[in-house]
Amino acid sequence: MNVWPLKFREMSDGSVLFSDDAGEFFKSSHGFLDRYATDNLSPADETFLKEGNHGFDKEFDLRWTSFAYRWARRQSRPTRMNYVILVPTLRCNLACGYCQVSRAPETARGFDWSPETLAGVLSFLDSLEGPDIKIEFQGGEPLLRVDILEAVRDFCREKFSQCQFVVCTNLQRLDTREWAFLDADDTVISTSLDGDRVTHERQRTHGSEVTGAFFRNLEAAVSRYPKGKISALPTVDVDNPPDFEALLDNYERYGVRSVYLRPINHQGFARKIQQGDNVLARWNRLHCEFIDLLIARNRRTGRFMEEYYFSQCLKRVLRLNADNHVDIRNPNFFASDYVVIDHDGRFYPTDEARMLSRIGRIDLSIGDVGTGIDRAKVDVLNSGALNHFDPDCIHCAYQPFCGTDVIDDISRYGRIDVPRPDTWFCGRHLSLFDKVFELLYRNDEPTRASLAAWLGVAGCTGDLAPVHP
Amino acid sequence: MIPLRIKVEANADQPFVVRLRSFEFAVGEQSTEQMNPFEVALERVGPEGADYVGEGGPIRILGIDPSKVDGDVLLVNPRRGTADRLIRSASQHNTFLVTERCDQVCLMCSQPPKNHHVDLFPHFETAALLAPEGATIGISGGEPTLFKTQLFRFLERVLLARPDLSFHVLTNGQHFDLDDWEAMSRIDRGRVVWGIPLYSCDPAVHDEIVGKTGAHAQLLENLALMCRLGAQVELRTVLMRPNADWLPLLARFIISTLPFIRTWAVMQMENIGFGRMNWKTLFYDSSEGFDVVSRSIDLVRSRGIDAWLYNFPLCTVPEPYRHLAPATISDWKRAYREECDGCSLKARCGGFFEWHPANHGYSNLGAIQ
Repeated sequence: MNVWPLKFREMSDGSVLFSDDAGEFFKSSHGFLDRYATDNLSPADETFLKEGNHGFDKEFDLRWTSFAYRWARRQSRPTRMNYVILVPTLRCNLACGYCQVSRAPETARGFDWSPETLAGVLSFLDSLEGPDIKIEFQGGEPLLRVDILEAVRDFCREKFSQCQFVVCTNLQRLDTREWAFLDADDTVISTSLDGDRVTHERQRTHGSEVTGAFFRNLEAAVSRYPKGKISALPTVDVDNPPDFEALLDNYERYGVRSVYLRPINHQGFARKIQQGDNVLARWNRLHCEFIDLLIARNRRTGRFMEEYYFSQCLKRVLRLNADNHVDIRNPNFFASDYVVIDHDGRFYPTDEARMLSRIGRIDLSIGDVGTGIDRAKVDVLNSGALNHFDPDCIHCAYQPFCGTDVIDDISRYGRIDVPRPDTWFCGRHLSLFDKVFELLYRNDEPTRASLAAWLGVAGCTGDLAPVHP
Repeated sequence: MIPLRIKVEANADQPFVVRLRSFEFAVGEQSTEQMNPFEVALERVGPEGADYVGEGGPIRILGIDPSKVDGDVLLVNPRRGTADRLIRSASQHNTFLVTERCDQVCLMCSQPPKNHHVDLFPHFETAALLAPEGATIGISGGEPTLFKTQLFRFLERVLLARPDLSFHVLTNGQHFDLDDWEAMSRIDRGRVVWGIPLYSCDPAVHDEIVGKTGAHAQLLENLALMCRLGAQVELRTVLMRPNADWLPLLARFIISTLPFIRTWAVMQMENIGFGRMNWKTLFYDSSEGFDVVSRSIDLVRSRGIDAWLYNFPLCTVPEPYRHLAPATISDWKRAYREECDGCSLKARCGGFFEWHPANHGYSNLGAIQ
């Protein structure tokens, strides 16, 4: 039998995790590692590797074919453009300390789409092929320009047979027209809820009247709409994190079971905030604690909640084609299935790229609605948008599950060739995948119950994570 | 029970295919120019039967209400005075029986092989082209790929002519080979699902069940070919005593070595044919020993591969798994028992095979409130 190359990483319990390029994995020992490295595999080793499909006898046999299939399915394939993030205005009626998007004051001029820009956006949407579209309205506070939102939505409903609209709103000020816009079945709400009331007020609303307005609107929306209509996410200050139990209580109270814990973003104006040393290590520790807290809480309440990004990473480990999340795909080619259009009609490959360009560090715009997407520039970005050939990633046991983030590297380091282990992206994902594998190899019932819920199955057993003694 | 064969009178020598239209044309109003040449329209209903006329020739249907056969496609055998309802327009369960020959002798076979064979592909092609919009047609046997040249050509031609149709082909997967590459590549792979049985990851267990030495090895080789062709495979495992304990290992084999399958179906046994003869030694009471099933299904689904339970009465399945047990028993084979009276899940339950024995073998069964 020919054994496919194995990569390995020591686990916190001293055992060794192995994975192949197609993402099959198992846990074993340093003894096995020695036998593998010195080409002294025992018959038991060979049997185990064969059962796990880590080798093949001849080209095109079933094992060879399955490996090839698995590898191919783990690659993210560029698809049709069907997801467009729109920023019709940069103006906002809040001034959150960490604002991610470089806002403009509510009364400022020159930060909204002009009629020409709107026409350009509609003509861009008109050029898209296929039956479906997802539009995400960002800002600023997009509902300040509900008239533009209506125009875009009306246009899409005519042009596409399936539409979904996401309004990323602070839910701060809703009048009849805004409510009417949100009422539609094809329209969902995404909002920010930074945990408990005190944290939310400290980070976002800065005054009890404004805070009260937000919570009143949130409650009204929750009682008005069916489950699943509203999603929310908290932005977490690693130096001053909210009480996580209170945060989860609050989320559950508003019917949101999936929480996407996000650290204060490094791009945009948020990069000005000094977070002190060792932010990465502290964030990773905080996130791990949050996962363990979730497991204990799920056990206690029997009502399962999840951390959204952790669930994504878990699925990336276990499944092929788990490419739903744009932050973690490989290759992660830009402007292929989604694109951002800013308040001035410029295209950006991601929202982060837009923020980064806004602060004047670098121009990551890739054309505008007048001239179309600048494919030459996209190609330059795409040349770094994969981890297959990175000199560090090729040795990493998590490479088949992981991704890459060119924009984040540029933002933090001004370049894309920093040694991988020195980057925030790598440090964060090493920790995430360490946690994923730690849980997969835990034997306790509470962990298994949460894993099952996060994977959408009735139960989990030890079968899920192979061990070679 | 829904009859698949009905009595007819027709004035013809050779078998022919015809579609019945019972309603669209008012009696006496002959607008045959709107009709397909293979169609006949209902002209008169009397005590002696229902008379249909049209280019397909006059034909009289006996013993069934014309409203029940509206839109049906029949293969009429005039000499015998019978017609097979190749396509029942109101049903989701239409299957063409290609042959009764088979090269395997499975212990639980519901339809034991016979040597006699008549090539009906030309009729199947005519019938398929008359199928209702968007239909999925089953192809079964015996072993249909014993006549693979005709089968591949049939699939290619029908799928080309009817972009709305799809096929579900039941095959033992023994007869594909590299030489079929071209013929199979011409078939629209997105619209054919190949239902292929694998009973165990252990070659001896599988070969014993299918009664053919080397079947397992041949099957694995051909599954690799199916993967390379991009064919959609529904892997089917009938759960029985000889393979039940192996099920979790089979699940592990599927995730490691067969990740390309589209669906894994774990199936309960059908008490007919060899299945009836060997019932006592084969039937596995999954209402009692469901843990091998749940472990296996959970494992495969955790890895993002679809897995389902076919032919499991819902009351024999623990609640968290019932949503994975669709009503798969074909309408014409389906029956409910006394125990089903008042069951709140009856409407979405596939019930039992008509011929399921009174002494059913399930230790946990009964209406769910």
